[in-house]
Amino acid sequence: MGFRLKVEGPETIDLGIENILTVEFKTDTPNDSNARSTDLGTSLIVKGKILTAVDGEEADSTMKLAQWSLVPGERADCYRKATIDVISASQVVRQIHLPNAFIVDYTEDYGDEEGVGTFYLHMKQKKDKTIMVKLEGGFEE
Amino acid sequence: MGFRVKIEGVETIELQIESVQKVRFKTDIPKDSNARTKDVGSTMVISGKILTAVDGDPFDSTRQMGIWSLVPAESADCYRKLTVEVISASQVVRKIFLPNAFVVDYTEHFGDTEGIGTFELVVKQKKDKLDKVTIEGGYSA
Repeated sequence: MGFRLKVEGPETIDLGIENILTVEFKTDTPNDSNARSTDLGTSLIVKGKILTAVDGEEADSTMKLAQWSLVPGERADCYRKATIDVISASQVVRQIHLPNAFIVDYTEDYGDEEGVGTFYLHMKQKKDKTIMVKLEGGFEE
Repeated sequence: MGFRVKIEGVETIELQIESVQKVRFKTDIPKDSNARTKDVGSTMVISGKILTAVDGDPFDSTRQMGIWSLVPAESADCYRKLTVEVISASQVVRKIFLPNAFVVDYTEHFGDTEGIGTFELVVKQKKDKLDKVTIEGGYSA
């Protein structure tokens, strides 16, 4: 399976098949609720590689993710449009769209035995806009 | 063992034997109770595979489960009828029916080294309708 992540805001962050390792989509309500809860949260968790640019090619845009994670809550651009495509056998299995995504956690890991770094990105949709989340898929690429 | 899952609401979601891997049925009462409590909860955990359609086959209905998990509590559509059949050696070992099921958690996971995704769906029966849960089984399929 391959993944494509696109984050649109004041700048566009594009990460492709080489970068992304796993994608997780979660909807979460309190487990102790007796009936359907209005306390509904949506998460998108992306893990991937931080590649080193060689032969003078352009560096990947993981650095922009790190910069986005530092944007304080007072600024409008802490909310961005995130779209992830899950592609397998020329089919878009899922296209998940969070129009008001913000970063909850962002981690980068590097080791002295590795040639690549790894990142962990946890995004959530702004809770009052949960209704705007789109979960599409099942069409040709 | 094979499992058949049917979710009926505004639309019908059917998951076949190829999709569903595990089913867990839980009845839960507080462990610190001194006598049988009326605080009984009924939970169903279903996990399985998200398959990619090839050769023009229709896609499986796992995406509809994701959409169900996003239905807000204000909409009557968040409660649906769930039927799970556990089938082994042409016998229906269990047929569990939750007539007012709602989603507590839903997770989808995709990886770059896998050809399929996985899902986990946690549903509960609306607590005041607990007596409507039926558990049958022990007859031929």
